[in-house]
Amino acid sequence: MSSLIRTVAIAAVLHITPAVVLVKRPNAVQALLPGAEAYFAREVHLSNADAHRLHLAVDWSPEDGVLTFYSGKTGPAMVGTLEFVRVDTPHGPIEVAVGFTPQGTVRAVIVTKATVEMKPWVLEAVAAGLTDHYRGLKPSEAPAGSAAIANRVGDLAEYIAGEVDKGVARALVAYGTFYRSAKA
Amino acid sequence: MLYDLRRADARIKWLVTCLLATFGLSYVFGALMVSLYAGFTPQRVAATYAGREMPMAMPPDSTMVVEHPMTMADFAQPEVHAVDTNLLIQDTHVHVPVYGLMAAALSVVVAGLALKRGWAFALITLLFAAPWLDFAGMWLTKFASPRFAIVTLIGGWAMGAGYLVVAATAVRQMWFSHERS
Repeated sequence: MSSLIRTVAIAAVLHITPAVVLVKRPNAVQALLPGAEAYFAREVHLSNADAHRLHLAVDWSPEDGVLTFYSGKTGPAMVGTLEFVRVDTPHGPIEVAVGFTPQGTVRAVIVTKATVEMKPWVLEAVAAGLTDHYRGLKPSEAPAGSAAIANRVGDLAEYIAGEVDKGVARALVAYGTFYRSAKA
Repeated sequence: MLYDLRRADARIKWLVTCLLATFGLSYVFGALMVSLYAGFTPQRVAATYAGREMPMAMPPDSTMVVEHPMTMADFAQPEVHAVDTNLLIQDTHVHVPVYGLMAAALSVVVAGLALKRGWAFALITLLFAAPWLDFAGMWLTKFASPRFAIVTLIGGWAMGAGYLVVAATAVRQMWFSHERS
């Protein structure tokens, strides 16, 4: 709640530029669930206690208290799972798609949305290899893409990489706590 | 009556004309914004304000899981711009005072027009009631029933209609009336 109020207050003062789609959702789904022939959406409606637990862990409350995980299958075989996570920044929202392998590690990360202002920062960070640093992460690990590219990019790209880190951290905790544990 | 826009100084008439033009511009872009984010049909307005439909009642103490199949076409669907309660509180806080000031400014113009008292009262009431309906519809859609989306649409169209009536009458009386000075 406090982050929402902070974001709203900052947004009221600053001018937020329009949102831009960097990668369309179907393209992100095909990249993160390669070869999948059937797709499923699992909506996890969090109880107050679980929502509070998630908020304490990653300072995040999903919209309407619902986490949505998309999974893909080829025949009976699971291809993987993905989440779209929104991060509200003082410059507007970004959206990060985080794909997981059936073994539960990060397959890949794609930044799907940003704002006009943040787009060049995102592109610079991604060109510096930001998303490569998330590959193979386990739900118990913390993403550190921002630190990994810090000496190769400008301040703004490093800043936005920190926001992408936040999105990946949220996806990891949500997946580890509310998807994998539920499947076990 | 001393205040009669038909016989007002040309500078006042120009001021009112510029004010109406500015409001008109803001209404045009307001309509464009509505078409981008909420739409002009009850279904789209309801989807924007009513929020996610719950297929089952949420028990207070346990997390619930619902799974359903998706197609690639579902992923390609345009996302619904959803206004949650916090955003609606912010929107109401920001918009309602501004709508009130706009209704007041247009009402001042109405008071300077040569209209029967009854029509003037009706027009002033419409100018203020339209934004009330607009926002009442949003809140009722969220907390009472999606069917109240129609109230928001009525309020929005009433705002546009009220503005058009005032603008057209004022411009006609100020610049084209035989009785103007």
